[in-house]
This record gives sequence, C-alpha cells and structure tokens, in this order.
Amino acid sequence: MHYFDNAATTKPYAEVLHTFNKVNENYYFNTASIHQAGRDSAKLLEASRKQVLQLFSLPNYTCVFTSGATESNNIAIQGTLERKKRFGRTILVSQIEHPSVINIVDHYGGEGFNVEFIRTTGEGRVDVGHLESLLNEDVVLVAVMAVNNIVGSVQPVEEIKDALMNYPKVHFHVDATQAVGKAAIDYRGVDSLSISAHKFHGVKGAGALMLKEGKSSGQIHFGGGHEYDIRSGTVNLPAVAAMAKALRLTLEDMDDDLARIEGYNHSLRSELDGLESIVIQPSDVPHIINLSFTGAKGEVVVNALSEKNVMVSTTSACASKRAASNETLTAMNRSPEVIDGSIRISMSRETETENVEVLISALKEVYEEIGDVLR
Amino acid sequence: MKYDHILIRYGEMTLKSRNRKIFIDALRKRLNRALEGMDVHIKTTRDRAYIVLGDEDAYAVIGKLKLISGILSVSPVVRIEKTEAAMKETALEFTADFDADRTFKIEVKRADKTFPMETHDIQGMIGAHVLGNTDDLTVNVRQPDYKITAEIRREAVYMYYDTIKCLGGLPLGTGGKGLLMLSGGIDSPVAGLDVMKKGVEIEAVHFHSPPYTSPEATEKVKKLIDIMTERTGYDIKLHIVPFTELQTTLYDRIPDNLSMTSTRRVMLKIAERLAGTTGAEAVINGENLGQVASQTLTSMYAINEVTTLPVLRPLLTLEKNDIVNMAKQFGTYETSILPYEDCCTIFKPKSPKTKPSLEKVRKFEERVDFEPLIEKALAGIETYIPNGQDEDEAFEDLL
Repeated sequence: MHYFDNAATTKPYAEVLHTFNKVNENYYFNTASIHQAGRDSAKLLEASRKQVLQLFSLPNYTCVFTSGATESNNIAIQGTLERKKRFGRTILVSQIEHPSVINIVDHYGGEGFNVEFIRTTGEGRVDVGHLESLLNEDVVLVAVMAVNNIVGSVQPVEEIKDALMNYPKVHFHVDATQAVGKAAIDYRGVDSLSISAHKFHGVKGAGALMLKEGKSSGQIHFGGGHEYDIRSGTVNLPAVAAMAKALRLTLEDMDDDLARIEGYNHSLRSELDGLESIVIQPSDVPHIINLSFTGAKGEVVVNALSEKNVMVSTTSACASKRAASNETLTAMNRSPEVIDGSIRISMSRETETENVEVLISALKEVYEEIGDVLR
Repeated sequence: MKYDHILIRYGEMTLKSRNRKIFIDALRKRLNRALEGMDVHIKTTRDRAYIVLGDEDAYAVIGKLKLISGILSVSPVVRIEKTEAAMKETALEFTADFDADRTFKIEVKRADKTFPMETHDIQGMIGAHVLGNTDDLTVNVRQPDYKITAEIRREAVYMYYDTIKCLGGLPLGTGGKGLLMLSGGIDSPVAGLDVMKKGVEIEAVHFHSPPYTSPEATEKVKKLIDIMTERTGYDIKLHIVPFTELQTTLYDRIPDNLSMTSTRRVMLKIAERLAGTTGAEAVINGENLGQVASQTLTSMYAINEVTTLPVLRPLLTLEKNDIVNMAKQFGTYETSILPYEDCCTIFKPKSPKTKPSLEKVRKFEERVDFEPLIEKALAGIETYIPNGQDEDEAFEDLL
C-alpha cells in the first residue's frame, strides 16, 4: 500500500507505540488519585506537559490535554466567546479554516455574533491587509490556522500577531494541527494554540490546547476538575505521553525530513508539469500537493488510484464524505472545474522514494485512462 | 534598530570605594551565568558595564538582566559614524518609538574634544532636526519625557534613549548567607527573594509532618524552590525536616492556646542548628506584623527568645496586597496558593494566644524533653537540590 493521505492521519511511530503500551502497562492509574501510583502517573503527565510546552518554546503557557484538535478548537473558541461576549461581538475568521472552527463560528453567528471572513490571496494565504481593515473595537476573536490542510499554504501568523498588537481585547486563536513538523512558526504571543497527536505520528484520541499565561478559558465542559477544570474527564495518559514523544521525534528530525520531502515534491511536480488539464496549486510546505484533473471528478481519481493501491484524498478526509465544494479552493478563486477535479496528495516522514515512484506512474496511468473526460 | 551594546548602570555598589572590585567581580559572575550560551561579550569597568551584542536581540538580553541584582538600569545603545547626518537620523529613528504629544531633550557628552562642533551646538542641531521632522514632540530640558543621549568618543558616536529600570540592590554572593524558613505560603518565597536582592545567598528549610501533611505540600515547596532558583540563577538548597514526632508531642503536651508558640520555638531552634551547619548567619522568614497570632510583637518576643541569630523579616511592615503583588511579579504566587495542607493548617489551635506569656510557655516546655526529638529531626533531614533531573530521567525512555 502506498499511503499519501498523511494530512488526514499518520501512522504512529514504533517508538510512540512503545510508549503507549508501556504507559498502559505501568501507569494506567488515574492522575487525580492521591495514592502513590496516582501521583507517579501525575508526574508523568506533568513531565509530558513540560516537554510539549518546551518543544513549542511556550514554557509559561498552560497546556490542557484534550482528545484532539476538534475539541481544542471548540474549547478555545466557545470558551473565549462566552467569556468575551460582554466586550464585543465580532469574530474574524479566515475563509479556509477547518470545519471544527468554521462550524462553531457559524453557530455563534446564529447567536447574535457578527462573523466576518478574512479574504485569502491566490496563494491560499490570509490577506493581512484585509484583516487590518476589518479590525475594530468590537472584535473579540481572530481565528486563523497555521498551515492550511487543503493546499499546504503557511499562514502569516507572525504578521497577524503584529497587526493585533494594538487590539488587546482580541483573542488570537491558531489551529496548528497541520503545521507540526512541516513549518517552523514562532507561536509565542498567540492566545491559544491547538494541536492533534495523530497528525504527527502520535495515536488518535490525544491533542492539546495551549493557552497564553493568564488567559483563562470560559468553561464549556463540566466535571471532576481534571486539566485545570478546563477539560474534565480522566486523562488519557498513555496517548498523552505518546504525543509528547511523537512531538519530540517529529521536531528533532524536522530539517532532514523537510529536505527529503522537498525532493519528492519536486519530482512529482516536474513529472506532472506540462500535462494538459493538470493544474497544481502552489504550496508552502512540501508535504501537501493539491492537484486537479480538470474536467474529471476528484472522487473518480481517488477511486482509480485506490484500485492501484495508492491512497490519496479529495478534500479533507473529515469532510470528504460530504459533497460540499472545497472552501479553500473557492476562497482562492479557482474555477469550478479545477475544484471538482482536485485531489490532495499528502506525505510524511514515513513516505519513501519507492512510494513516490509508484504514485507518479499511477497518476500517469489514471491520466491516460480518464483522458477522454479531461478538458 | 540594530543595537551595538547594552549599557549597564550599577546599583548601590557605586557607594563602595575600596572594595568595589569585589562587587563588580560578583556581578560579572552573575552576568556570565545569566547570559551563558548567548552571543555576547561582557565588559565591566569601575563605573558601568557593557554587554557587547553579537547576533543577539538587545531586549532579549535585557529580559535576563532585569533579574540580576546589583543592576540599577540598562540602556540599549547604537553605535554610529561620527557625522552630523548620522546623529540626526538616529535621533529621529528613536522618536518613532515615542508616544504622541510628549517632550524630549537632547543630551550630548563630548568626550572626544577634537570633534569640530561644541556640545551646545550639537544639541541644537539634533534637537532642531527632530523638531523639524516630527509633528507632536516639543522640547523640555528640565523634565523631558524622553532623553536622547549622544556620547561622542574617539572611535564612534554612541546613542541611546531607552532606560529600563532593573532590580537594583547588590550582586548575589556579596552579602553572606541566610537560612529561609519556607512554609509554602505566599509570604516566605517573597521574603527570600527580597533578601537575595541585597546580595545574600540563601538555603531554605521546610518542615513536613507526614502523613498529616500531604506529599503534594512538599512537592509544592520544591516547586517554589525551582521557581526561585530559575529566577535568580542561583541553586537554592532545600532542607526538609521530618517534624511529625515533634508535632504530635507538642500537640499532646502543650496546652492548645500555647502550642503554636512552642511549635514556632522548636522550629526556630532547629533552624538555628541547621544554620550552624550550613554557614548561614541569619534566619529569614516571611513574618508580617500583626498578620496572624504568631506574628504579633508579643509572639515574636516569645518565639525569638530561643536564638541569638538575627531573624530577618523583610516583609515586616508591608501591606498584604503589596506582598501578593510582589509574589505575582516573582512568579511564585500561583504555586503558593495551591491548596495543600501544611503542618500549620492541620495542627492549628482553635484560639492561639496573640499575647503568649513567655513565662508560661517556658513552664510547659520544661516538662518535656524535646532535645532527643530535635536531634532525630535534624538527623532525618533530606536535602533537595533544585531542578534535579532525576524525575524526568525516570521517564526518559517514555518521553
């Protein structure tokens, strides 16, 4: 099997599974128990927390462990809006956010909030000038992802931080789910940050929300008081420790991996470049290539590749069972044919030269097979 | 703006004359440790020090300098060519950081007497340029909001305007050693850090009474030590005294309303002996006059009687609010307010005397032989060295 859907989820590293199993064997205790076993587990939890924060260079932030980025985004956004609704009711959000951001914001739009979408450039990046023009005293939340999941564009997080400098009331939330290991971004100063372990070779069911010091999140979760009372419920310590390890391994080797994947990206682009009706979108990270068979349906291409044992995706897997057209490509002002015919190829550190060779010839075969419908 | 170096103004040590070198050497050591690994070069002179910046951001370095005692203030300095144009341009660049509608003044120090213009003319020239190219700034030579300084020396001109106030005090290591009684509350860490600002090195002592006090309470005190160590760049040792047997004996044998006074007396006795073995010349605590029953003047009189060591109480007359603010500023507050039982809260008498009679306390204490218990407690002391990696190492394989 040749796996090119790493933006949907990744394979856990062997070392990560080792941690997951060992912690399940030796530290399966409730981290809130006051007996020795519980306290030892709590120490492992705190060591994991410290490691995650240090790897992000956010040592003074509060790190709340969650079940993943969808939950982190929900806590951050809902908590912020509940807390800030007295001070203002305008939300600025990029057009290209993940549904776990867009749909919450939509919901609050129906609850009396004013939702404004920040425009996107042709390269799939948030237009900071437009963001600046939307800023006013009523804005309480700005939500922009770090790396886009559809085309791999890196968002100008640092510029946005600067633009918000004179708006202390604004909470700046960054969904960094797709960014870990792909782009080196300085997150220091953002108000909250979401990550998800399974996107960087951790196990599913673990993520984190990092909150700037002094920022409390309004409560949307009620329970026994775990995780600073922000995310109650017995902590999934095996998955959390595994995430801390996956993060360390991913970041330690990031530079080498980037160079190698950059090479794969280059050969893919040069092999397909010049084929009529094939449109390749620009990308800032080498891991993600968004490619359109203009005139065909993306789904058809995905199925054809799948039969050749090559796994790619149409849009984001979380949403690809729904027929809605792709928001990111729409925001980038691409034609309906390009959007309908788009597939996403996403690589990771586990991707090898052989996989890329198979992918290239499979793409060429599919191109021949469905050549009749292409425009 | 790319700064060339940081100018450091000394604190109280400029009052020293003959032994000033000792203070400067001590400060140099602290600077070396705080800036370890950074691309900087440290130069100390008799009147001021300079950090020559390699590739480091001036304000990142200043963030570290702000925690070092003995520094009164610092300014990031830019080195420019010895031309009128460069001086005018740099002054104008500085004003970009100024708030609107403020006043300024130009100060010129013409150390290079061969420079063709007179001090007064240079001031006028730069000032006129700034006035002519800004809209909302005016000159005020007596009490300016901003002062732009240009020092003209043989090799170049140095200019700065931003002066950042630092800790003041004296360099750590020039003031002897004290033993801090650390309960885990808000006050004692503040007291320790405050005394350290005057150059005093400290070790700390904490009393725990398992199983009446929880392991979390002890962990919390260790965490406070870690925070204080990180802040000061000085490894503070923590001595943890097993106090259970003494605590239960005091509870049984001393009447309820005097037990608190006796408990404090025993703790102070232990601290005195520990001071002897650690080389400490004073005991430091976070007592605040009138805050609780043990901190009235009469109580202090009765408790202090057991030792001839000086007992330093730097927070004695402060408002509680100010202490809380200091704790927040020092970063110890959040940890201090964690709700774990310490020995004081569990064995707290119902109505402790605010005016304990020393005579009565002595009478009851005479009936008990505390000495063997004190010896045993001292023998059972465990010493914690801050930021020990042993716990993290246990998880090394997992993380």
